[in-house]
Amino acid sequence: MGKATIIPFGPQHPVLPEPLHLDLVVEDETVIDCIPQIGFVHRGLEKLVETRDYNQFIYIAERICGICAMGHSLGYAETVEELMGVEVPKRAEYLRVIWHELSRIHSHLLWLGLAADAFGFESMFMHCWRLRERILDIFEKTTGGRVILSVVKVGGVARDIDGAMMQGILATLDGIRSDYSALMKTLLTDTSIKNRTVGVGTIGYDEAVALSMVGPFARASAVNYDVRSFGRGAYGDLADFQPILDNQGDCYARVKVRCLEVLQSIDIIRELAAKMPAGDIAVAVKGSPAAGAQASNVLEQPRGECYYYARGNGTKHLDRMRMRTPTSQNLAGMATALKGCDLADVNMIILTIDPCISCTER
Amino acid sequence: MGFEQDFEPLALDELHGFAESRRAEGWRYVQTLAVLTDEGIDLVYSFMKGGHLANHVVPIARDAEVPSISDVFLAAFVFENEIHDLFGVAIKGIAIDFEGNFYQLANEAPMTILSPEQAAAREKAKKAAAVKAAKEQGVAPEADDMEAKLAAMDPKKAAKVRAAMEAKAKKEAAAKEAEIEGKLKDMDSEKAAKVRAAMEAKAKKAASRAEGGE
Repeated sequence: MGKATIIPFGPQHPVLPEPLHLDLVVEDETVIDCIPQIGFVHRGLEKLVETRDYNQFIYIAERICGICAMGHSLGYAETVEELMGVEVPKRAEYLRVIWHELSRIHSHLLWLGLAADAFGFESMFMHCWRLRERILDIFEKTTGGRVILSVVKVGGVARDIDGAMMQGILATLDGIRSDYSALMKTLLTDTSIKNRTVGVGTIGYDEAVALSMVGPFARASAVNYDVRSFGRGAYGDLADFQPILDNQGDCYARVKVRCLEVLQSIDIIRELAAKMPAGDIAVAVKGSPAAGAQASNVLEQPRGECYYYARGNGTKHLDRMRMRTPTSQNLAGMATALKGCDLADVNMIILTIDPCISCTER
Repeated sequence: MGFEQDFEPLALDELHGFAESRRAEGWRYVQTLAVLTDEGIDLVYSFMKGGHLANHVVPIARDAEVPSISDVFLAAFVFENEIHDLFGVAIKGIAIDFEGNFYQLANEAPMTILSPEQAAAREKAKKAAAVKAAKEQGVAPEADDMEAKLAAMDPKKAAKVRAAMEAKAKKEAAAKEAEIEGKLKDMDSEKAAKVRAAMEAKAKKAASRAEGGE
């Protein structure tokens, strides 16, 4: 047995798109303990709720993170609507879910590209990002923005998607599906990828439950939890929604779950587009949340369950707005997954958790 | 599977035992957050089972010592460190304790510093609540009603309303003056001069009375 040494990992590291610091305690080449540290990009965005009214804050909520922008604006709007008892028109619910699922595809493709780059498959990175570009084109056509969409508002959505545009989106998604299926086949069958991912960073079902893990990270350990299965909003109109699960709990399972979720999202969009009801896309929201009123909400972001909380004070300004992001919930799981792994596998394990540090610190 | 949520109060000394029982009953730990209130701080602990999101509000004093639940749910260490750094709450026994170095902050406990905007919003909310309560009791002092309303508004809006009221008063005065001028034109010049002198004297008297009153 060798001597224990502490190796600092990050906050600046080629594999990390965002600053995360890990103190890795290693013995020879094996990590025996890991202490994660964040706090390099804390911007105090939750505090800003004091200087913006509840309609303005939605634009701050979506700027918390570039990848989860759509999800944060949706989660925030739903929380304020819950707080004020606002009923959103059905068509707006459908449109919200369609954009949210598109952003899930874009997030997963971005992540697949980064993961491919991390295990040295650079051309795969480019293919994934090329496909993601087409989703961003859909965003641009339907909302005017590519990353920050500013399309959700309290009470509904700001823009509509007409029939012709929807047909265009479905045609684009069909094209993406055929290209993506070929990529996915390579990702899931390639020997060199399997060598890097199978049996690495395994978390069992019991451990995943005990660590309160969420999102694809938990579903890869057979935890059957997906907020979408509660059937709220337009998700309730899906004929059959089953979370994608895997029982291996290793890096490969996590890659697989996310790969399949892209196809699932395409199916959801296709189904909702066919069922899309006519009608208004927003209702006027008047008044202020009552003093002391509080509401919470959960939303399935690409990285997992995100929790929102709001408390009103009788004015247009909220007393408190809080977002608990999936990555902060998964940090304990990540530290556990890293224990006992090879030093060379650390980057692979971190990436398959898909950490989003900007969201975590806000 | 449906979704429901509720908020229940919880006492601080029951917190750790409650977390243990939730764990034993198979609840999943969701999060912990803090809210700054007038009396102190509210900690909100959330757990989920099935589609039931249960939030438990623990009101504490700012200097209270809170037991960590990270020995029961390891995932809580992130939130407990965060609450310690942002709200200055002393949490004892965190599984991975950063001792105030979790976030790199310029101020100590920045979330307990009430911004002027938030202080104004809370003041406004209080005044609005007081006006509403007074109205409900049927005691609505008429003269102060407008002033109370203005006090409850935010300062910029109140200034605008005041300016609009002054402009309206000026406009009304000007319209009255124009009407009198029109009548005077129709009179013969001697009578008109007398009426003017009488009006001036009246205005002077009123002004001196107003001064005396003050």
